[in-house]
Amino acid sequence: MIAVRRVAGKLGGLLLTLCLASLLVFFSRFLVPGDPVNFLLRGRKPSPEAIAEVKEMYGLDLPPWQQYLNWLSGVLHGDFGRSLQYRQDVSTVIGERLPVTLMLVVMAGLAIAVAGLAFGAIAALYRGRAGDRIVLIALTILGAIPSFVGSIVLIAVFSVQLGWFPSFGSGEGVLDTVYHLVLPATALAIVFTVLVAKVTRSAMVEQLDREHVEVATSRGLRRGTVVRRHVFRNALWPILTVSGILVAGLLVASSIVESAFGIAGIGSLLVQSVDRLDFPVVQAIVLLIVTAFVLVNAVIDVLEPWIDPRTAAGAGAR
Amino acid sequence: MTRFTRAPRSLAVVAAVAASALAFSACAPAASTPDATPADWELTETTPAPSGDIDSFTWSIYAEPFSLDYAYAFDYADNQVLANVCESLLRLNPDFTLSPGLAESATQPDANTWVYTIREGVTFHDGTPLTAADVVASMNRHLDPAVGSFWYSVYQNVTAIEQTGDMEVTVTLSVPGSQFNLAMGGAAGVVESAATLAAAGADYGNSSGGVNCTGPFSLDAWKSGESITLARYDDYWDADLAARSGEVQFVFQTDPTARVNALASGEVDGTWMVPSSAYGQLSGSDAGDVYYGLTTAVGQLIVSNLEGPLGDLRVRQALLMALDREGILKAGAGGVGDVTDVMTTESVWVGADPAAVTTAFEDVDAYPYDVEAAKALIEEAGVAGEEIVIVTAPISGEFAVISQATAAAAESIGLTARIESITPGAYTTLFSDPSAREGVDLFFTSWYLSSPDPLEMYSVLRTGEFSNYGNWSDPEFDAVVNEAIAIEDPAARSVETAKAQQIANAQLPWLPLYTTPMSMFMSDRITGVSPSIAFMYFPWAATIGAK
Repeated sequence: MIAVRRVAGKLGGLLLTLCLASLLVFFSRFLVPGDPVNFLLRGRKPSPEAIAEVKEMYGLDLPPWQQYLNWLSGVLHGDFGRSLQYRQDVSTVIGERLPVTLMLVVMAGLAIAVAGLAFGAIAALYRGRAGDRIVLIALTILGAIPSFVGSIVLIAVFSVQLGWFPSFGSGEGVLDTVYHLVLPATALAIVFTVLVAKVTRSAMVEQLDREHVEVATSRGLRRGTVVRRHVFRNALWPILTVSGILVAGLLVASSIVESAFGIAGIGSLLVQSVDRLDFPVVQAIVLLIVTAFVLVNAVIDVLEPWIDPRTAAGAGAR
Repeated sequence: MTRFTRAPRSLAVVAAVAASALAFSACAPAASTPDATPADWELTETTPAPSGDIDSFTWSIYAEPFSLDYAYAFDYADNQVLANVCESLLRLNPDFTLSPGLAESATQPDANTWVYTIREGVTFHDGTPLTAADVVASMNRHLDPAVGSFWYSVYQNVTAIEQTGDMEVTVTLSVPGSQFNLAMGGAAGVVESAATLAAAGADYGNSSGGVNCTGPFSLDAWKSGESITLARYDDYWDADLAARSGEVQFVFQTDPTARVNALASGEVDGTWMVPSSAYGQLSGSDAGDVYYGLTTAVGQLIVSNLEGPLGDLRVRQALLMALDREGILKAGAGGVGDVTDVMTTESVWVGADPAAVTTAFEDVDAYPYDVEAAKALIEEAGVAGEEIVIVTAPISGEFAVISQATAAAAESIGLTARIESITPGAYTTLFSDPSAREGVDLFFTSWYLSSPDPLEMYSVLRTGEFSNYGNWSDPEFDAVVNEAIAIEDPAARSVETAKAQQIANAQLPWLPLYTTPMSMFMSDRITGVSPSIAFMYFPWAATIGAK
């Protein structure tokens, strides 16, 4: 019962957040200088009637609040308007590009989870010793590499020099796509792996110093069991709380990596749409990222009592 | 070895002459920098004919086409794809001559009327036959405000487009003009199936609606943001240009480094407009070679503000003389090209009177690199210390070099200069939005022509024209251009056009810098293409086969 009310409350907050986000997303475009119509014409001489026609077609002749209401009612019906640059429904433009970005984010996410947790755990368990220091130094170096530099280095080494992986595109079919996305996913994962590893290390270090761990150890439980049951499980919560930021961060960072590897995902689409004043596309993508961020956080919030030992006193989760 | 059998009618071939003249001048030592050796380059008319057919090849484009709707196809990316899929009433050949295309003939019963006889036996990619009604429907779209065609200027004097016979279409103009028919070899003359236009509606030409034309290749797949695949159309009407490749895959690579990497590693077979910084790396690489071909483009600084210091002709002359254009050509374009003092290339003077061409290119003012003389002009004009604003964008190395060099040149003669850098997207709006040009004195363009006539350049500099960005106005120039446009005979017309070129060269509404040849990379796997800028309208990919 309490759980139901909790979830309902969360949902209300969620909708409010999305509503505010939609307002921000929509009206921010009026802060950007430039008229999208001029980009549409791209330096060509139109007939005066054509300009009026274009404005009417895209609803650019209406007052902003009315444009917002039209846009919002469209969004609620799954209609995000039409892309100015591609003269196509925004949902089609984004729909064609979403799968590859999701695949890239999933691949990078898996890499981040595995590598981040492993490195963080190693560093924590070898606290103060050589293993810890090596991991920390490596993390510091890797964390300082911007995604685009990582992309360039990966292409130079693995595509141009060794010829192991393709340098651009996303291939045909699932297996080929995975093969094409190995390097981009690696480039995308580097920075976030560092983040997860550092959070993992500090959370586990904190747990290792806790009383109940020492008690468990002194009771003669094997170290592996202690680490698994007490340390890791209790350290999982702080790690999960960063995953909301991680998902949004991955979607945003994908724009850099996608551009470098010539992958047609929503990241590269966002960058190019901002430059071309293609507001309908920009609004849809930003709303998508905000929604993903809010949803992931909401799910984590709802799961909190089952995971976080501090709120789940005695709640046995197996 | 060209593969064109039909001789163009009533059009003399001067492009080849121009090309050899260009190649010859490239061997002359550079005037201003005697210590530097000019880059080793020559013009190629065409690459050897293929030894046989090939299954497929891959071609890189620097950007994705926004649309394949011919009404919006006006840039290198859109046109280089569309040229292989859709055809026009006339055909613009690699040597920039026009020959019959989907129209067997174009006649002029009187000065204001063009009659096109449509070719029999042509089919669209869906198998339906080409009719006069398709031509009327395709052309009328340029007049429809709801379409908002980029080629509207070609049609602005058109009063009627009608079917006047079984396979005959008549176009009526409000003023006598030579330019309308000359534009029919480009995207303005493309013919699409009327049924397809009606069925696709607003989605015509995008990745969901596609196109259905008559060219040697059909649009097979468009993977939005990544690639476009064309497939050979087996029932293509013109045996001479039947596709030698079963497929062509275009990949979009916005990053120049990525493009060069893909070419060098053999992942991609070719590209138009090789980044000039990679000429050295790619020419004679293991993967293939760089070729240079006929161009119609002139790199120019557009003077977009005649209210400021550049309103004084002496200041424009001084700035041009303060620019080390040979040096800029070396740094910005790999040293491949020639400095020029006029706004057109000889390649577009098709059918011109040879004496008029000599007048237009020889009998003009030269602006040699001379900082001292330039300083004197600035003193004389009394504008020392005044500021000019140069706008640039991170489009290519060339843009960076030119903006820096122009600022340095302005400073060297006593002006002050400010460089404003904007995004490539914002840069395109300079060409359409007067408010974007406010407070801007200069911006660079590589201005190319789409029809075999220099008047395409000079007509936009008439008073009040949309692309006359500095609102330059010269009544004598306007009169000469208007008179030339009304003349049908290309030779007689060129005599008047030469006068317009002389006036523009003396008055400098824009500052011409240099011409650079069209560049192309082609892998060792394929051959058969002409590296000419005509690739924007000619089905160039059809001629490519196995080496």
